[in-house]
Amino acid sequence: MDVWQELIILLEGVPLTLSISIVSFLIGIVVGLPFAFIRVYEKEIGFVVDAYEKIFRGIPEIVLLLLFYFGLGPYFPSTFGNAFFTAAFVLGLRSGANQSQIYRGAIRGVGDEQMIAGMSIGLSKWRAIWHIMIPQVFTFSTSGLGSEYALLIKDSAYVYVIGGLAELMKRAIELKYSAADVVTPFVISALLYILLTFPIAFWLDRWGNRRKKKIGL
Amino acid sequence: MADFVMEARHVYKTYGRKNAKKTKQANGDTSDGAKHVVEAVKDVSLQIKKGDIKLIFGPSGSGKSTFLRCLAMLDIPDKGEIYLGDECLTKPGVDLNKARARIGFVFQHIYLFRHLTALGNVELALRQVLKLPKEEARKRALAALAEVKVTDCANKFPAQMSGGQAQRVGIARALARNPDIILLDEPTSALDPELTGEVIDTLRDLAREGTTMLIVSHEMPFARDVAEEMIFYDEGRIVETGPPSQFFNAPNTDRAKQFMTRIINRTTRE
Repeated sequence: MDVWQELIILLEGVPLTLSISIVSFLIGIVVGLPFAFIRVYEKEIGFVVDAYEKIFRGIPEIVLLLLFYFGLGPYFPSTFGNAFFTAAFVLGLRSGANQSQIYRGAIRGVGDEQMIAGMSIGLSKWRAIWHIMIPQVFTFSTSGLGSEYALLIKDSAYVYVIGGLAELMKRAIELKYSAADVVTPFVISALLYILLTFPIAFWLDRWGNRRKKKIGL
Repeated sequence: MADFVMEARHVYKTYGRKNAKKTKQANGDTSDGAKHVVEAVKDVSLQIKKGDIKLIFGPSGSGKSTFLRCLAMLDIPDKGEIYLGDECLTKPGVDLNKARARIGFVFQHIYLFRHLTALGNVELALRQVLKLPKEEARKRALAALAEVKVTDCANKFPAQMSGGQAQRVGIARALARNPDIILLDEPTSALDPELTGEVIDTLRDLAREGTTMLIVSHEMPFARDVAEEMIFYDEGRIVETGPPSQFFNAPNTDRAKQFMTRIINRTTRE
């Protein structure tokens, strides 16, 4: 098998790697953003967020993946029995724990005064969060989110342990056997991973810096 | 109808210093926490009628800003009542968001929404709080910006404006929804001296139009011209109240006399 064939086989895994990462990233936003605000503005129930963050940041995702897929999969075949669901669930919640911390820092950076100003015009707390805090929090978080996205692309490689998803890593490992070539598949996949992470993280960071400059954050 | 647009009855507000614990340990003092507590508002009562222009002044750190925030329920008083018209805001279960929509608040450090243009800053409450249709909100926002003469900043972000322009947008933001009263917390003290004039002019315009205002300020010429009543506030209390002439000629209390002497000397030196 020549390099081009290997490249094509690996390239075919890119959409799956990307979709695992992007879906996880979105789950991370949906979970992390409200949790960050709960942690800052609803201190009484902040311990729930704390516990969640500790669990998902403290356990290696490879362990989480195996636990959910093989541990819960047989009992919940339509959810944890599904490899994509489990992958997105584990990576998404892990990302939510990371993103919650990123947003928390951003909330502090944006400052409580913006909240108070929002409430002074008659907005409720959660509406002030929606209209005033969240747009600024995202601007403030872009470099952190860029790293988080890159982390997700890289960590999607762990998904090979539960099998069933022919993403980039899984294909590289299979090529190692079928093509009897130990080095080439991993060199190519290494390059592909760089191509998938770097430009988007870079663009996010640059866009964020421009935006920050514009609004004086 | 209530006699007053806004009324404070025996309001108290105390807050602990943020470093209370540390100070405590450093002192080795465990007897009581009283000395680490700031009594910003101690039994303060005040009435404001429609069209009134009242000015609060006094040394910094005396609790003026805290009192003003209590009036807008941005700080919740420990004790006492705040009335907005007939409605008691300090009663539990009151919709404070609705009440705050009827109170304009202008901040010392302006606090415009940084991610929105001047127009966006003014429009937000009109759209999201008053729920006006888009067209009408825009029209009213532009009118408010025109009133404070910053129409040319409509599409600028706060970071692109001068301090004076930003504060005038801040006033437009408070003004646009036609609040019952506007509370202004040292609207000029964070600005460069040469920029205070434009903001003061805006306030004079508002005064001429009969806007009900309670202003914390040390702009004495402005106070003399515009305020109907001046309130000298020190150590969490109202020390003396009277027309500007009383303060500029012969304050009743020694504390006010001292303060006036100092502040007028400072103003004339400048």
